[in-house]
Amino acid sequence: MEFGFSPEDEKFRQEVRSFMRANVPADLGRRSYVGNHPPLKADVQRWQAILHKQGWGAPHWPVEHGGTGWDPIKRHIFMEELYNADGIDFGWQGLHMVAPVIIAFGSEDQKRRFLPPMISGEDFWCQGFSEPNAGSDLASLRTRADLVGDQWVINGQKIWTSDAREANWGFFLVRTDPNVKPQKGISFLLVPMDTPGITIRPIESIEGGLGLNEVFLENVRVPKENVVGEPNMGWTYAKYLLEKERTASAFLYFNKRELEKAKIIARSEKLDGAPLIETPEFARKLARVEADLHALEWSVLRILYGERTRHNNDAVVSTLKISGSEMQQRVTQLQIDALGARSLREYHGFGPEVMDGTDTWPAHIPGPMGLYLFSRASTIYGGAREVQKNIIAKLAFGL
Amino acid sequence: MDFNLSEEQQMLRDGATRFVREHYAFEARRALAKSELGYSREHWQTYAELGWLALGVPEDAGGLGCPFTDTAILLEELGRGLVLEPLVSTTVLCARILDRCENPGARGELLGEVAVGSTILALAHDEPGHRFETARADVAARPVGDGFVLDGIKILAVDGQAADRFIVSATLAGDPVPSLFVVPRDAAGLTIETYQLIDGSGAADLRLAGVACDADARLAGPGRAAEILEEAFDAETVARIAEAIGAMDAVMAITAEYIKTRVQFGQPIGKFQALQHRMSEMFVETEKSRSALFRALAFLDADPMVRKTAVSAAKVAVADAARFVGAQGIQLHGGIGMTEEYSVGHYFKKLVAFEKMHGDSDWHLTRLVADYH
Repeated sequence: MEFGFSPEDEKFRQEVRSFMRANVPADLGRRSYVGNHPPLKADVQRWQAILHKQGWGAPHWPVEHGGTGWDPIKRHIFMEELYNADGIDFGWQGLHMVAPVIIAFGSEDQKRRFLPPMISGEDFWCQGFSEPNAGSDLASLRTRADLVGDQWVINGQKIWTSDAREANWGFFLVRTDPNVKPQKGISFLLVPMDTPGITIRPIESIEGGLGLNEVFLENVRVPKENVVGEPNMGWTYAKYLLEKERTASAFLYFNKRELEKAKIIARSEKLDGAPLIETPEFARKLARVEADLHALEWSVLRILYGERTRHNNDAVVSTLKISGSEMQQRVTQLQIDALGARSLREYHGFGPEVMDGTDTWPAHIPGPMGLYLFSRASTIYGGAREVQKNIIAKLAFGL
Repeated sequence: MDFNLSEEQQMLRDGATRFVREHYAFEARRALAKSELGYSREHWQTYAELGWLALGVPEDAGGLGCPFTDTAILLEELGRGLVLEPLVSTTVLCARILDRCENPGARGELLGEVAVGSTILALAHDEPGHRFETARADVAARPVGDGFVLDGIKILAVDGQAADRFIVSATLAGDPVPSLFVVPRDAAGLTIETYQLIDGSGAADLRLAGVACDADARLAGPGRAAEILEEAFDAETVARIAEAIGAMDAVMAITAEYIKTRVQFGQPIGKFQALQHRMSEMFVETEKSRSALFRALAFLDADPMVRKTAVSAAKVAVADAARFVGAQGIQLHGGIGMTEEYSVGHYFKKLVAFEKMHGDSDWHLTRLVADYH
């Protein structure tokens, strides 16, 4: 065991920091700082192009496809600095979810066709997994695809699809064999989102955002070769996809940045003339969250560095999802607690008066409530907290 | 960074696991805790032979000079067995004070004795009027001739029932902060009252009535004593966190086993999701604690401000986790968990004691908050 950061890592941090400082566009960084969620598609694409130009468009990919070959600590430092500079996180569904599956199981043709426009920021992806009756119990999904000639014909409905309206491509789990065990008859299909037969209906969420969608598929036809890997192996690929991103569920970099933001707010908000952060009640609440966040960071490092634990390693990974999702709720709650009743004001969109703030309603006010409200979803998506607890009970204790 | 054990560390852990298995089965531990001495001198000798007492002692003082991580690995294993010997007081808290003290003669001599197991040490710092304050001691020191005379009362010298010597903080008239002195157990004018703590360890109150000591009994003067104490408390805190994590892991193992066999409503109660989820929550808290421990280890030798906030953050996170895991261990057992003759309650008491030891969670929270100003 050895826990040091090397001087080389520090040098790397400085390099990334100065790049971020010089290259995060001011307006984009401002939107990101204020809490514009989800980020604008144009911002995501513009930022992706900037990173790609630097050779940092997909640090986690294999080098031959454009990855950087960084070790875990460098990737960690990179993400920290990206967030600190108010850069935007990677287009998650594309670069982090479907790409590793295409790289591991896709055909050479699929790699050539899909990876370059993804890393450049040209293509924008969405994920079609959940259905109205297949949430936590994903294997019960019913959207089906039938092979008719050399085309898949897809019928069914997906839900909670983030960015479905912005995306030009989607990856879908569909049932291709209804006569076998549920997990065995699922395929992983790549679908252009402008294919006839696709109807998208946005779902307004409690914070007023329209990032989530229902996607209806009616006789949607895609070429046979749009299946990734082998037909009926989609469940395996989906599991691979989730395992590939073992530490992402901690939302570490988001949580760290938002905690710093909570501190900034608590320094500027006053209670009886003194900064709120100096009142014992708030300071102690903040310190407890920060103590747990430090631990969360080291839980991420443990996994990045491949610790062989004495418990089931997958159970340890599941703890990240639980702690990280709860941390999003705690950190954003600190922000609205710091704002007090001023957090309650309803804002519509992020117009100039919101972005710049006014003398009485500074720019740090509009963002937190939206993040706080949306963070209720963090313990639901990507495997609800209660499902994670089932998994831990089974893997760690054989219960 | 590397979170996996080296070959030597694996051997250290295996050795400790074996020792606990062979000598610290619950019944053996229970009997030992009830014995006159409260711990085993034989075990202490074994620890010396295994090199465990020399682990953190610097090489120039006859020790092995291993990194603190090794101490943490050892203590986690011993924590699983609720080991009773005063390792933390002697080899971490007091050894750390000696290592950093301003008295090279005492440092060399006493650390040498610690390494071979020929002395047991306890710190006598707490007093009735204050808690955890490193820059305060109401015990008075007067210069007399070449030496000093100490007067006053110390309480709660943890492991003091076993100690051959005490490190005593006392303030010289005119000094704003205390100095540190080493006082032998049999010093004239020293009255010791010993008692047990709920976790099976012992402690002592010291009444010092004109206790005379030589000039070379002074380990540190007012310029450094408080700083040395705070650093040593931090090392002790990290050591006790490691012990606590061992105990938390043991609680989970014992409880999981129990709920798989205890049948109610026609099935093992471990089939009930409410209980499964509670176990998972205990697991989340324990793994969080382990991460907090690693972070504290990483910063233990850093610049003092960094060290203090890292150790305090770890203590705050682990103290809550420890009490939660211990308490749920009892809860999932039901009535049997409340009994003295069953193990899980003893783990709970260990974890409750851990929270209170040298900087309770409120004290550490206060130290963390100071960083926000």
